[in-house]
Amino acid sequence: MPLLQLISRRLLQLIGVLAGISLVTFLLVHMAPGDPARLLAGERASAESIAAIRAQYGLDLPLWRQFLTYIANLVSGDIGLSLRFQRPVIQLIEQFMWPTLFLTGYVLCLAVPPTVALAILGARRPGGIGDQIIRLVGIAGLTIPVFWLGIMMSRFFGVSLGWFPVSGYGTGFTGHLHHLFLPAVSTAIWLVPVLTQSLRAALIEKTTADFVTAARAQGATERQIFWQTMLPNAVLPTLNLLGVMVAFMIGGAVIVETVYAVPGLGTLMVNALLGRDYYVVQGLTLVFAVSTVLITLAVDLLTAFIDPRVRF
Amino acid sequence: MIDTPVLAQAMPSFRKPMPTMLVALAILGGWLALALAAPVIAPYDPDAIDIMNMLSPPSALHWFGTDQVGRDVFSRVLFASRVDLLLCVAGVLPPLLIGTTIGLLSGYFGGVVDNVFMRIYDLTVAFPFFVLVLAIVGVLGPGLLNFILALTLVGWVSYARLVRAQVLTIRESEYIQAAKCLGYRPVAILGHHVLPNAIGPVIAYAVSDAVLVMLAGASFGFLGMGAQPPLAEWGVMIADGQAFVQQAWWICLFPGLAAISLGLGFALLGDGLGQIQRRGVTA
Amino acid sequence: MTGLENGKPPLLDVRDLSVTFGAFAAVKNVSFTLQPGEILGIVGESGSGKSVTCRAVMRLLAAGASAQGSVALDGRDLLALGEDELCAIRGRDIGMIFQNPASHLDPLRRIGQQVAAPMIRHLGISKREGWQRAVRLLDDVGIREPEKRARSYPHEFSGGMKQRAMIAYAIGCQPKLLIADEPTTALDVTVQARILQLLKELNRKTGLAMILISHDLGVVADICSRVVVMRGGEVVEQGPIDEVINRPSHPYTKLLIDSQPGRRTYGTTATAGGSAPLLDIARLSVTFGAGRSLLGGIGGDHSFRALDGIDLTINAGETVGIVGESGSGKSTLARSIVRLNTPSGGTIRVDGQDVGTLAGDALTAFRRRVQMVFQNPYDSLNPRLTIAEAVAEPIWRHGLADRQTARKQADALLETVELPRSLRDRKPRQLSGGQCQRVGLARALALKPQLLIADEITSALDVTTQAQILELLVRLQRERALTLLYISHDLSVVSSLCQRVYVFKAGRIVEQGVASEVLTTPQNPYTQALVASLARLPTERTAPHSQSVSHHAT
Repeated sequence: MPLLQLISRRLLQLIGVLAGISLVTFLLVHMAPGDPARLLAGERASAESIAAIRAQYGLDLPLWRQFLTYIANLVSGDIGLSLRFQRPVIQLIEQFMWPTLFLTGYVLCLAVPPTVALAILGARRPGGIGDQIIRLVGIAGLTIPVFWLGIMMSRFFGVSLGWFPVSGYGTGFTGHLHHLFLPAVSTAIWLVPVLTQSLRAALIEKTTADFVTAARAQGATERQIFWQTMLPNAVLPTLNLLGVMVAFMIGGAVIVETVYAVPGLGTLMVNALLGRDYYVVQGLTLVFAVSTVLITLAVDLLTAFIDPRVRF
Repeated sequence: MIDTPVLAQAMPSFRKPMPTMLVALAILGGWLALALAAPVIAPYDPDAIDIMNMLSPPSALHWFGTDQVGRDVFSRVLFASRVDLLLCVAGVLPPLLIGTTIGLLSGYFGGVVDNVFMRIYDLTVAFPFFVLVLAIVGVLGPGLLNFILALTLVGWVSYARLVRAQVLTIRESEYIQAAKCLGYRPVAILGHHVLPNAIGPVIAYAVSDAVLVMLAGASFGFLGMGAQPPLAEWGVMIADGQAFVQQAWWICLFPGLAAISLGLGFALLGDGLGQIQRRGVTA
Repeated sequence: MTGLENGKPPLLDVRDLSVTFGAFAAVKNVSFTLQPGEILGIVGESGSGKSVTCRAVMRLLAAGASAQGSVALDGRDLLALGEDELCAIRGRDIGMIFQNPASHLDPLRRIGQQVAAPMIRHLGISKREGWQRAVRLLDDVGIREPEKRARSYPHEFSGGMKQRAMIAYAIGCQPKLLIADEPTTALDVTVQARILQLLKELNRKTGLAMILISHDLGVVADICSRVVVMRGGEVVEQGPIDEVINRPSHPYTKLLIDSQPGRRTYGTTATAGGSAPLLDIARLSVTFGAGRSLLGGIGGDHSFRALDGIDLTINAGETVGIVGESGSGKSTLARSIVRLNTPSGGTIRVDGQDVGTLAGDALTAFRRRVQMVFQNPYDSLNPRLTIAEAVAEPIWRHGLADRQTARKQADALLETVELPRSLRDRKPRQLSGGQCQRVGLARALALKPQLLIADEITSALDVTTQAQILELLVRLQRERALTLLYISHDLSVVSSLCQRVYVFKAGRIVEQGVASEVLTTPQNPYTQALVASLARLPTERTAPHSQSVSHHAT
């Protein structure tokens, strides 16, 4: 079964990448300029407390021993302890991850339908007026700073019109939908142009593809050609881009959550950065990276499922 | 033997000049002029606090209004453009240079260098770009210099990957085979034959990347991880104004519009350059 | 015309067809007819408008093109039909196959599904029935294990199999007319012969009328009863194939016929070069490791032996040819000689020196002695250099002259390859394919080599251009006392140019000998198949005319 072979090969690669990720997150804290113990203890800590911290965190050990300890901890599910909250980072992540997950799903739901519609509209007559407008608006959409758009929208729709709450997460499913609408729209406005451009370009490339001409020569109607031949072939590159974009959205979430005060992982990350809570930063970076890798893997497997050429 | 060259030659839309490129150049030139002439044009000292004129709305005296400590928003937007323009250049050039060099060597010679590079690439794309840069800046400490350092540490990889992909196809082309066959030295082949043919898409990408760099820079300023107040930078200004946005929308609005227009300049230029690249391939 | 003479109404009647792309007229006032059951050939070189003509018949032109005139199929004007009526005719009454079967099959759908789709669409049969018919059709077009192969995807098929699948795809609804646009151009000659055989059988058994578009007069002569010769969007001549070939009335047709490889021998002369071989290859093997990324099941063996124990010698002044189909290792050999590949075994000696051990000055000296011209006219020149720069570069890089002098020498070289001075500052893309190949030749000659390797240097060119390049090559060989290694897939070109020939198959030499003998009395079964596959003009019948024709040499 070639698909199984692909999966097992990718899982093997995954282990390598995971090892690399843990090394990077480990070095992140340890290669920082200055004494990590001092960083952890804070600027005004006494020599004794620094020494205590050094012993507590094993910072007096050689670097490779520390790394082994770190790996061992990771394997047992311990990704560190927050200095500020005095709680395991994993618990914090569990607490804060739902709004972020909800937001990500929300953004995807808001972004995919207009993407498909706009791309089809643009690709139908490449270079036509509709296409040019979509392309230019898309370029403009890319250049809007998400945080600025967030502030402006919350001021207008939230404060002036009072339609949407401007902060928090709300309660219940509809509450979440209501509270996260503006954050999701702010992100989607940036995501839609990127995806549209990719799908449009792929569609246009496929309109001139030889197999489309062949299908036309066999009497397929334009409708059949579009849905059965062009779209499946054009979706592949966009699917790959979507994988990359989800990783970007995680980054975008950091900003949007800060603007709208959504109690998600992004807010946790920014607060940890500003509060110099390094183990939280480390743990979050690790979790973000692992999620990205898993999403990429899922996209790859989905691609292999659609495209017989990738399976082998 | 196929008639496609005839078709391409007959396509009317293929040889039109692009008005968007001219718009882009006008925007970028305009911002460059404004940034250079900021001390002359700006009606006020961007850092001059004027308690008597706090949060005053746009008027003939203060075109873009004043902020919470009475600083003139228009002057600050002008002076901030120097920071943000510089940021674009400083955030793009180092990754471009490092990435191009490594991508060139990695793609052309292959072998161990290439293998090591590909592992680094796999590892870097495993991290969400923004998060990794944020984490590095967080650990190094907030500030513009650390931001650019972090950006370079992460960003060179995309350039190297792009150049490498170009080089991999160019390396197989017959003119490179011919150059080897004619006994040219590797340095001559790389510099005279590979690089000039590989660099086009990279330049187009770099210009588009400038948009991302500027947005990231502003975002970092907004989060308090990039430029530090009281330095006038668009992101910092927006962050400053966020608390007062209900009474004084102008503090946030104008720096944002400035960022969008500069971004538009880069994005349109990058888009145009990208189209020229693709056209060059097809024609 | 001929169609009207025998009284039957024509199946297809094209009258005054013109196609314009904006201001550019690709096809001008083309008229021809096709009788039921007839095979009509349309022959012409690139830019002749032959493909555009047929796409206009099928109404498959790109947006922005407009067609005038009339195209009547059984009396119905196709150019006047609406989209729905057109869809009902395409694939039902007219089938079409294309030059590059690989890109014309949808990569994401199974072969069986694709073959079944037109039948399900036009004949209203069920999916199940469609699949069964598709399997039968695949069997009919000569695909083994059709049940299993119907479930395959296009990328799992070889080039020849893809074209067979394409044919099955086109004939499923038993159309009245099949349009074949360069159906064998991308295929090896032995595969080409089998596909042409298949088309002939289809025509004989089912009376399927065909239009065969080809650049290759030999292919057209092989299966067509009538031929239309096109140039620059116009029909220059048409008529029964024998008549056109034996008594061409238009000078262009004469030129075309005269340019056919194998119509004449180019007088390369073996200058007496002594007994010591210039190039001596002994037991050469080249093995490629399997690529890590893209590789469909080559099986358990992870390496691929491109050359397997090759022995070959060339004496100074000789012109030696290598013939083989794709994958035979002929290009690998060329690349190994100039050290673009590293052999896994055996030796290559030039004048007794082992090429593999050369380094430093000795390697530089070797580079000056052995040069190569490549296959692809545009790809073999750096697109950013003007042609004068490209030709001058080796001269100054080797320190043979300063840049100023090198430029002057480059001008002289361009003159040698018959390129007008006015082209010297052009970039490759502003030149024609033939001109680019001349630049490639000039660049290779810049270092004044003894041995020149020409790897498929005319295979991307039109046949008339090919003839000119071959003439040039012969002249250069004579004037500069070159030793020439000419590599081609085309046995007739090689045997008309070379004194000796090596026939390659799957990395081995299967036959070698004097060119004319290999062509006329091949010993090895593979060579026999190769010779039999040659789509040649009926030379024996043209014997009385060949004299007058060969006067018309350019």
